[in-house]
Amino acid sequence: MSLLHVSHVTHGYSAFRLFRRAKRSNVLTDVSLSIEPGQCLGLLGTSGAGKSTLGKVILGLEKPQQGQVLFQGVDLYAAHASDRNKLRRDLQVVFQDCYSSVNPRMNAEQIIGEPLLNYEPLSKQEHIRRVEELLEIVGLHPEDRSKYPHQFSGGQLQRINIARAIALKPKMIVLDEAVSSLDMVTQSDILALLCDLKTNFGLSYLFITHDIKAAYHISDALAVMEQGKLAVYCADKEQFMGLQHPSVQKLVQSMLPEHPRLRSGRET
Amino acid sequence: MIASIRTGLRSQKTAAVCSVILAVLFILSILAPWIAPHDPVHVNLGVKLQSPSWNYPLGTDQLGRCNLSRLLYGSRISLGFASIIFISSLLIGLLIGTFSGYKGGLIDQVLMRFCEGVMAFPSLVLVLGLVGILGPGLPQVILAMVMVQWVYYARMFRGMVLSLRERNFIAAAKISGSSQWTIIRRHMIPNVLPPIVVMGTLEIGWAIMDIAAMSFLGLGIQPPSPEWGSMIHEGKSYIRSNPELMLYPGMMILIIVVTFNILGEALSERFGVKRRF
Repeated sequence: MSLLHVSHVTHGYSAFRLFRRAKRSNVLTDVSLSIEPGQCLGLLGTSGAGKSTLGKVILGLEKPQQGQVLFQGVDLYAAHASDRNKLRRDLQVVFQDCYSSVNPRMNAEQIIGEPLLNYEPLSKQEHIRRVEELLEIVGLHPEDRSKYPHQFSGGQLQRINIARAIALKPKMIVLDEAVSSLDMVTQSDILALLCDLKTNFGLSYLFITHDIKAAYHISDALAVMEQGKLAVYCADKEQFMGLQHPSVQKLVQSMLPEHPRLRSGRET
Repeated sequence: MIASIRTGLRSQKTAAVCSVILAVLFILSILAPWIAPHDPVHVNLGVKLQSPSWNYPLGTDQLGRCNLSRLLYGSRISLGFASIIFISSLLIGLLIGTFSGYKGGLIDQVLMRFCEGVMAFPSLVLVLGLVGILGPGLPQVILAMVMVQWVYYARMFRGMVLSLRERNFIAAAKISGSSQWTIIRRHMIPNVLPPIVVMGTLEIGWAIMDIAAMSFLGLGIQPPSPEWGSMIHEGKSYIRSNPELMLYPGMMILIIVVTFNILGEALSERFGVKRRF
């Protein structure tokens, strides 16, 4: 049984207008995919392709108009509230904008401790020890726990977001452009951290990104979304670059070669 | 939260000075019945229009009433009712604004167009019109002012709810397993509170001035109750011979409104809140 199974999800928004007819637009059209335990699926696509909306639907934040989301075999949107709460602890998230993902009035300990407070009430010392442990796992100092978000850099803040996501030892994390807003060096650091966590904790990722190199680096399987539809699904990333599908070709061509001299050769 | 306000106040001398002035005024108004030397409505024509003396520290008015006592009792009305107006319009605005922002759609559109309609009128004119319909008297004035004031709060809270709802940390809290009430308590209220503190200080000054204006026009508090606006109104016949009758309550209004405004500005700087929407 796959860990996550999305079947025939269609979702759209309608903007309300007082004097005009409401305009409906579909963001997702009939999307189906599955993720196996321990697998990382890289979800590629241009901005506006519906990647993040799919992420929200999977996270249980937005009920799709049609279709089902099965997590560990349970329908996320049909489940009873208490069942859904139980499911939630195994499904966590890291967003792109690390600054808006944390409450500016809470310090690192409160941010990382929030899921622990909700699911694993510990004694005060235990709680602090656990938070410090998590900070060390993501490569920060235990003393950082009393710092506030504005005292961290973007990369450090993203590490805090990751620490919060892994606090409950989830089975799956949705990484919604989690490295896209960071500089190249920090990006590769965070990617390395994510790879380590994946092997150490047996995590599954849904890695949403527009950066094909990052996706290629971390993923086992790759998929491409285009205008709300799943255009390509490739279970083995090694075969991805060879696919003849036009959207894959476009992505591969948009990738800059390692050295400028190679560029002219490729264009012919 | 309170700790952060306290450190903010300590770091800013203006805010600290203003807070002290206002605190003193509040305490004086609460203690008025015990510290006022005379009954504020006791008429004694034998001692009318006296200059300051030991018995009457600020002199007496045209009916021989003690000016200081009237000022002290007047502060109870100004500060007390301004607070009532502030709190009730804040609560109504909080309720309707949050509801409107949360619901969206038709309800939101209708409520917000209504608010904009109310805001398009100068608020004093609107209050005057409503008092004209409801009839003169303090309860009517307060009701009219609350009816006009809440729309500003409703719009502010709606905007806050809209912007907070889109912030990722609310979504992240939901995914971390926090219930709706926990999210409101832990994430929404701490982020909404500072602007309310700022708004409050500015709006109370506004309310005090409007209560006084209504009384001056003879629509608010009715004589002989002491109120700063009505004291100015009664004193205006004596502007040539005894200008202090107008000067004392006028100074009180000036001090209190200016202090509230400076405090509001200082706090808005501290918390980075814009004055109005």
